[in-house]
Amino acid sequence: MSRSYVIAAGHAGVGTLVAHAAALGGEVVALVVGPRDVAERVAAAGVTRVVWFDEAGGHAAEAFAPAVAALVGGAPGHVFAARRPADRVLLGAAAAALAAPVVADATAVADEGGRTVVTRAVYGGIATRTVAFDGPVAFCLDGGAAGEGDPAPVERADASPAGIVVTYLAPEPAGADLTRATSIVAVGGGLRAREDLALVEQLAAALGAEVGCTRPIAEGLGWLPRDRYIGVSGLRVAPELYVAVGISGQLQHMAGCRDAKTVVAVNTDAKAPIMSQADYVLPADLYELVPALTRALG
Amino acid sequence: MSVVVAYKWAGDPQEASVGADGSVDFGRARPGISEYDAVAIQVGRNLADALGSALVGVCVGAAGAGAPVATKAALARGLDRVLVVADDSLATLGTAGTAQVLSALVGQVGDAQLVLAGDCSTDVGARMVPAVLGGTLGWATVTDAASVRADGAGVVVERTLAEGAQTLRLALPAVVAVASDAAKPQAPGMKDVLGAGKKPADVIAAAPLTPVGDGETLSAARAAAPARKGVVITGDAATAAGELVGALRAAGLLDKAGTGR
Repeated sequence: MSRSYVIAAGHAGVGTLVAHAAALGGEVVALVVGPRDVAERVAAAGVTRVVWFDEAGGHAAEAFAPAVAALVGGAPGHVFAARRPADRVLLGAAAAALAAPVVADATAVADEGGRTVVTRAVYGGIATRTVAFDGPVAFCLDGGAAGEGDPAPVERADASPAGIVVTYLAPEPAGADLTRATSIVAVGGGLRAREDLALVEQLAAALGAEVGCTRPIAEGLGWLPRDRYIGVSGLRVAPELYVAVGISGQLQHMAGCRDAKTVVAVNTDAKAPIMSQADYVLPADLYELVPALTRALG
Repeated sequence: MSVVVAYKWAGDPQEASVGADGSVDFGRARPGISEYDAVAIQVGRNLADALGSALVGVCVGAAGAGAPVATKAALARGLDRVLVVADDSLATLGTAGTAQVLSALVGQVGDAQLVLAGDCSTDVGARMVPAVLGGTLGWATVTDAASVRADGAGVVVERTLAEGAQTLRLALPAVVAVASDAAKPQAPGMKDVLGAGKKPADVIAAAPLTPVGDGETLSAARAAAPARKGVVITGDAATAAGELVGALRAAGLLDKAGTGR
């Protein structure tokens, strides 16, 4: 393929995408939707050039989906985007314009004699497939940190946003990015009450860790925000240390933390699935063990 | 106009078995309406009631997706009718192909102006079908909607992203993927279940187009579980905690703490 595209909507976290695109050969064209400074940050991320869709506020990045699709459809190539809401929509529009297959579960991507060979972790990671593609592919992956390189030229696209207007915006202070955390203490259904989160937060503070959770804690109970939910439809994290507290270890959750280097499991149920997927297994009541652990670290 | 909900009939991979050759057998995994699609159907029901419009379900999948048990399960959740393409040759349809077939079904609805979808499917979880569907239809598309309401010739969507809360106004036609907590799906009652049998279900076996392939599979394997030490630490809380801290310290895991901020 003579070119690959990297999509970035309002952020410059494209390091991993650029690395994959560069490995497939050809020029790497970044398609950036957002303000000028974001386009310039992406331009310094190791790409060949940047096509910048000027979105200075007032429209959602998704409003540029038709423009991105028209550009990619006119000059086909692989397309890479991060697992973020607007980026996925722009990627979907590009994939539709190319009539390209979409791969959201790739663990490795390589060019082998003109074919694109992809290793995929399917159905939440219970099996893997090695698959070959002959034409352009749309990849949705973890974006990674900002890349590094010499500044590339930035060209302003002649395109207008369509269809989606932002009528209200309440920016939130940037929360923690669990995908970059070195240590995470994650909590699950073993926690009996919202107030008891304090126990977990104290342990996290003693470890210098972030707090994460399973899906029911974030979505059913709403005890923690959804950006702390780890699982197949939430965050995929890979910390050095993952302390799973009161988590049974359903596939849905484990798919989000399988790349953790070291896993500690604390669970009253010695037969819970997580107990066979941990480096350190503590069959214990979290209400006794977690405070003891916090004290032992202090 | 009609409000359309794209839904999937899927099994839970937790209950699937994986052969040594990497083949995945969903035979023991009892299929159902994909969990988050039930949320989308509920959001669609509320919206269709407010608009006085029809609520139509569209679905593509293996033959099972067209069986009465599947269509009735979807209709019992509040859809007025369903259009389903069901054939075993479509069991392994990829994300892009799924979106293409769904888009053709949306076209067959006739007066569709709004398509709703769930946050992600139970089995594949790629979270890309609504985006490709929107792209294929060429309609305005957003995801992660916490609420959707009609507003004149458009819809207003509220959502909370990492960057903050947004209220968006979309011109119709549009595709909106709803967040997992956008509505609490109500379990169908006896009346809903009985009524479902009387609602129209159009099931066709052949896809209305040749969908995009999903690559040529060269090899498959059972996923190797990450190698874990499996060291069991027992004893009273203080002893066990001390032993764990010692082990983590020896492994150098307590020196490089950082929060990624």
